[in-house]
Amino acid sequence: MSIPCYHCRLPVEKAGSFTAKVAGENHEFCCFGCQTVCETIHNAGLQSFYLKTPEGEHLAPPPSLSAELASYDLDEVQSDYVDKLDDIRSIHLLVEGIHCAACVWLIEHSLAKQQGVISAEVNLTSKRLRLKWDNRLTTLSTLLQALGRIGYAAIPFDPDTAEGALARRHQSLLYRMAFAGFAMMNMLWISIALYSGADQGEFKNWFHWISFLIATPTLLYAGYPFLRNALLGLRRRYLTMDLPIAIGAVTTYGYSTYVTITGSTVGHVYFDTVVNFLFVILVGRYLEAISKREALSATSRLLELQPKLATIMIDGLAKVVPIRTVKIGDLVLVKPGEKIPVDGVLTDGQSAVDESMLTGESLPVVKKNKDQVVAGSINCEGAFTVKVQQVLRNTALAKIVSLMEDAQASKAPIQSTADKIVPWFVVVTLTLAAATFIYWYQFDFEQALLAATSVLIITCPCAFGMATPMSVAVATGVAAHHGILIKQGAALEYLSKVTHFIFDKTGTLTEGKLRVVTVESFSDLSEDTLLMLAGSVEQHSEHGIARAILAESVSRDLTLSPITDFSSSAGQGVEASLNQQHVLLGTQSWLAEFGFVFTDIVLNRVDSLEHQGISCVFMATEGQIVGLIGVADRLRPDAISMINDLQQQGIAITVLSGDKQAVVRAITAELGDIQRQAEVLPKDKADVVRALQKQGVIVAMVGDGVNDAPALIQADVGIALASGTDVSIESADIVLSHNELRKVTEARHLASRTLSTIRQNIVLSISYNIIMVPLAMMGLVNPLIAAVTMPISSLLVIGNAARIKRLFKG
Amino acid sequence: MDVIYGLLPGMLLLGIIGVAVFFWAVRSGQYDDMDGAANRILMDEPPEREQANDTDTDK
Repeated sequence: MSIPCYHCRLPVEKAGSFTAKVAGENHEFCCFGCQTVCETIHNAGLQSFYLKTPEGEHLAPPPSLSAELASYDLDEVQSDYVDKLDDIRSIHLLVEGIHCAACVWLIEHSLAKQQGVISAEVNLTSKRLRLKWDNRLTTLSTLLQALGRIGYAAIPFDPDTAEGALARRHQSLLYRMAFAGFAMMNMLWISIALYSGADQGEFKNWFHWISFLIATPTLLYAGYPFLRNALLGLRRRYLTMDLPIAIGAVTTYGYSTYVTITGSTVGHVYFDTVVNFLFVILVGRYLEAISKREALSATSRLLELQPKLATIMIDGLAKVVPIRTVKIGDLVLVKPGEKIPVDGVLTDGQSAVDESMLTGESLPVVKKNKDQVVAGSINCEGAFTVKVQQVLRNTALAKIVSLMEDAQASKAPIQSTADKIVPWFVVVTLTLAAATFIYWYQFDFEQALLAATSVLIITCPCAFGMATPMSVAVATGVAAHHGILIKQGAALEYLSKVTHFIFDKTGTLTEGKLRVVTVESFSDLSEDTLLMLAGSVEQHSEHGIARAILAESVSRDLTLSPITDFSSSAGQGVEASLNQQHVLLGTQSWLAEFGFVFTDIVLNRVDSLEHQGISCVFMATEGQIVGLIGVADRLRPDAISMINDLQQQGIAITVLSGDKQAVVRAITAELGDIQRQAEVLPKDKADVVRALQKQGVIVAMVGDGVNDAPALIQADVGIALASGTDVSIESADIVLSHNELRKVTEARHLASRTLSTIRQNIVLSISYNIIMVPLAMMGLVNPLIAAVTMPISSLLVIGNAARIKRLFKG
Repeated sequence: MDVIYGLLPGMLLLGIIGVAVFFWAVRSGQYDDMDGAANRILMDEPPEREQANDTDTDK
């Protein structure tokens, strides 16, 4: 049993690595970050944070702070986020690492202790901080650093550009719902009076007119979205759920108004039905909007956390500026580990660049002077400068984005099950109403009008209109708690019908990170010694292979030795001296240049390893090749079980990758019998999906890279991983926020459960109609019956939808 | 019963005031964070007193 870290409660890997005296006692920490955070919290006198944190809650280990914090103090950078560049400024920050109310308390209190902070308010739901500070007394970067010291990373963002339109739509929906609620409550009192006999007495007309007064603004204001969408739909010859809703509400209202004005003695007023109906439907829509908004804001957080800055060189001096101000011809400095912000030619320095997000290739590509680099790829090694050739809309990245937009435009909107039934529903309802009218017209016009309208009123698609939104809202909420963010409710319905899954390889099926898979010695040195030497030589390197070797030597508990005379040649290899030994570590061709001889045994071994998709680096010391280290991008731990699950359900699976044949073959061999296509270009990925769809197959695409984005959109259901690129997250319908592949099968379970619930709900509401419509046609329905039966049908539908929550329980 | 001619408009007026207050509440951002406020009120104990409790509750 390992001890939990005193700060984050995760198990400590190696006891004694990080101990500190906090509050008079020695405590164990899992990493230096946790230790510093805990010390800072105690020094600030805020240690009751740990008491406030709920039992069993794991804090995330503190994030690493971006080195560019200071650039957020520049006015030109801040002007994007701050309202006014005055002395007193306020800004919205996205905060990474908030889990519970205790975090809110800690952030607000520790910021309040900072000089110059005027107010700090954390929004727990959206994990945001609104900070107001005095720019004369402190700087934004000081405050961001203070947040970093207690374990939270924060990034400025502009809520208006991020989700302004959505937030406004959301607010107007809330207003309309509130208004309908107010109208409904007042209307109920009047209705009760009417039901209990007031419709016979002297106040009848007075009550009717008051009802009319309440119902009119409700229909016009609260019902506006339905009326508008129904009209828009009719004009485009496209029937949506809004049409039957609008027909129901308008006829009911129209008939009641007719009765009120003529003072008819036969007819009844149904104003309460109109208002109730609008309120209930709006509640359903609002709940759906909330769950959708949560999913969207979670994904927009993933996007916003990426800084949008670039370092440009002016007369040899580095200056950090927002990306949009970078011009063609500027020199941009790219430090190791940074994402390249522009397209251009490398002018100074050399490095290896990870282009996997664009091409799917898992190994970094060497870039030397005059080589092209592409925006969105990651610099793995040395710093270099790039002469800008293209910015923003014109980069290769942006071109993929435009491919994506094309795919979006060409794809027909997904129709939900309810939408498919709507035309039939409308036709049947109108026919029945017409038939009723014609039948009764032979006896009496007034009676005919009453019966025909009551058919329309009773078929009022209340339950029907809620069938889909309620189920989707519940499912989306449940899913979000399990790390599945559903951006498109209709995609959920489709997911259960998918018969072909397409997976991207690098970063999706695999971790997208290189790991040491084998260490082989060709001399008397032991494997551990080889790894120790390699680890020592690579200890200052940022390269993916170097990190893999370092991680492996740490996990094997090896002590690294100090090195001297370190030098590296990008993408080729590194050399250094340690313990009077000169060690070289690099590729076959690089070592061959130094005159090292590779024996046939070694070469055969390399061949067989490369056949398994493993890349080799060789170590040479004292004139001979002493060993090799094989690195590969490994499958995610849950990949195999997920693929098996899907196959057992009879789903076809294809792996689609931009990587080399051999690597893809090696990976798919581990997964069993599945189809594969390697060396696929981004635009061809979407074509593969399209070709399958032409055969009538419903396709889901799972991917993470920029190159997957067009395919994610083209597919009936696009699923992205949260660790993926902005573009892929934006183009997907579903995002897996913990990068766990088994969530794919969980999402599928949830989807089929949701679909069956939607179907049950539709059956429920149709059976309600089958019972009530004959009564209405016989002219037996009065306002009281309508007022009682309609809410019951809605409640049944809501209750049934709520049962989806039980799927993940127990 | 003539009082009903006055009561109904009165009821509507009160209702409209209620709606106006709700609109104001939404506009001033009171519905933006549904989870934070509920918890925040439980958090605000004076830190000095807690420090005294700290030693015996802390495991």
